Amino acid sequence: MTNSWIHPAVFYFAGSLLIPFLKGRARQILILLIPVLSIIDVALMREGTYGAVSFLGMDLVFGRVDKLSLVFAWVFVIMALIGAIYSLHVKENGHHIAGSFYVAGSLGAIFGGDYLTVFIFWEIMAFSSVFLIWYRKEQKSIDAGYRYLLVHVFGGLCFFTGMMLYFYKTGSLEFVSILPENAGLAEYLILAGFALNAAVLPLHAWLPDAYPEATVEGAVFMCAFTTKTAVCVLARGFSGFEILAILGTAMTVYGVFYAVIENDMRRVLAYHIISQVGYMVAGVGIGTEMAVNGACAHAFAHILYKALLFMGAGSVLYMAGTAKLSKLGGLYKYMPLTMIFYIVGAISISGFPLFSGFVSKSMIVASAHEEGHLWLVNFMNLAGIGTFLSVGLKVTYFAFFGKEEAPIKPKEPPKNMLWAMGITSALCFIIGVYPKVLYDLLPFPVEYHPYTALHLSEMLQILCFTGLIFFLLVKKLAPEDKINLDVDWFYRRACGLFMKFAEAVIARVDRFWGELYRTLGLRFLFKDADIAYGFDRVVIDNVVDGSAYGVRGIGRITRKIQNGRIQAYIGFALLIFVLITWFIIFGFKGL
Amino acid sequence: MLTADSEKLIKEILMDLVKYIELLRKNIRPLRNILIGFLAVLILFDLILPRNEAHSHSFINWPAYWTVFAIVGCFLLLKVGKGIAHMFLSRDEDYYDK
Repeated sequence: MTNSWIHPAVFYFAGSLLIPFLKGRARQILILLIPVLSIIDVALMREGTYGAVSFLGMDLVFGRVDKLSLVFAWVFVIMALIGAIYSLHVKENGHHIAGSFYVAGSLGAIFGGDYLTVFIFWEIMAFSSVFLIWYRKEQKSIDAGYRYLLVHVFGGLCFFTGMMLYFYKTGSLEFVSILPENAGLAEYLILAGFALNAAVLPLHAWLPDAYPEATVEGAVFMCAFTTKTAVCVLARGFSGFEILAILGTAMTVYGVFYAVIENDMRRVLAYHIISQVGYMVAGVGIGTEMAVNGACAHAFAHILYKALLFMGAGSVLYMAGTAKLSKLGGLYKYMPLTMIFYIVGAISISGFPLFSGFVSKSMIVASAHEEGHLWLVNFMNLAGIGTFLSVGLKVTYFAFFGKEEAPIKPKEPPKNMLWAMGITSALCFIIGVYPKVLYDLLPFPVEYHPYTALHLSEMLQILCFTGLIFFLLVKKLAPEDKINLDVDWFYRRACGLFMKFAEAVIARVDRFWGELYRTLGLRFLFKDADIAYGFDRVVIDNVVDGSAYGVRGIGRITRKIQNGRIQAYIGFALLIFVLITWFIIFGFKGL
Repeated sequence: MLTADSEKLIKEILMDLVKYIELLRKNIRPLRNILIGFLAVLILFDLILPRNEAHSHSFINWPAYWTVFAIVGCFLLLKVGKGIAHMFLSRDEDYYDK
């Protein structure tokens, strides 16, 4: 290979600008051609550093191609193709352009060799993905989009501030692995910025708030890119940070906890992303070669099956008009293909043998076990139970089976949607049966074998007995027309409460103050004016008048003296002259 | 992208599948018995499994540990999850619009 390297994001930037000029079949071909070209580009890529630019005295690297960036690049371009197929029927050009810019942003971020490049693409991601929410064109989505944007701007600011402090401290913006013992404020601010995009607790609430409000097709893109880009940069910069291992494990359980109690299919899946990304964050936090491998493998597998699940839920929403489990049921009769694809996604995510979750998730759990973090192993497996319970059993049962008579009788979705789901299902199965294709892409050599008797036994026990309990307690799980509070309450409700507080208390204080000013202040002002007036009249006037009276008095005396008799004047002048002379002669002598 | 014949075939298979599911829903008992039998086999399998390839010798490698874990964990997630939801978290759907 020569030294030439084309940034895969170029195809998305350039291609998306052509979309508005084409119509019909040609436009569809272009939409598919962009990801196909980028797949070829990634396939031809060799490891190395490309696209180094000097900008304002800083060295920017646009193309750091190594094992870590390549594994993410592979799954991103594959996912972009699947997403393009799934959204082929979408008429709005803006939707396709936003999707393309979003993919380009995440590709740019994972190939970035310095913080500034990562930051630029990071912001492109945030500002393009929000359009995938707004294109739903409902008031709820517009509101959710603004919240999404505000939260991501906050995360971007954390990242930017950290980056500046880091530059001030080290004089370089190179994006290198940071050792936990060297980390200061700058590094932790960058970590917070990354963690927000990875939906790490407690910076996670934007995700289940925004994704369920996105368009049917937009959610398929969104569930793949933002969080996994964050996992990639976390793996590059912050592997071995123990806090990530603990927070990641907490995320796995937190996510499934909400997934068990939520009603909307896409909200269940959105909460479940937090759980799944938790595994990856924990893998990064454990930091061993096997754990980081596991995080990357899980990101790869997860993007595919989570997209498959979002496509299934999206198809239901698209055709039935709702994704609320309490309003669905019996869909197996009307959408059998969608059901099959959804179930493939559900058993992949639950980690059934022969499907992709089984070969990726277990790498992280096994690495936690090897490092002796037994509690993490237990919590991760508890999350595994919750995964199967919520995404696998609850959603499948209440959407596709459940009620005897289906309340809504939709048809299968358009063919392009079915094809996208079919291809993704096949990929989930191929990775599960032949994990070598995935393991060969991973950053470190893999010595892990998922298909051991012990692992099979462990997973089957967890899954089958979860199934048993589900069918014993299925009535307890019946979905309810409710939403559940999360930490987004603080900026959604608490801000409203603050406004009420502002209206009720601050406005009242303001009114009181106004009244106080009016009564006391004006009175004081009047009094003050009175006093000033009195002072003016009595003191100033008296002084002025007094001096005038004085002058008049003196004038009167002078007039008496000036009586016109010249001899008196001369005598008076002589008297003064003698007095002055006497004073000069004798006065100074005495000194 | 598929030929008309293969599309027809897929449709027929799906119709059969739907009919089969309907049949199972009417009479779940045989399937249930098979699954319960499978669970028993699973526990037996775990009891006789050699454990020399385990990553550690801690309690999580005890035979049938994950069976007990799954039953208790699933029960807890359901009960505690729904309990907390009903007590603290659950709100009407228009809660944030009010």
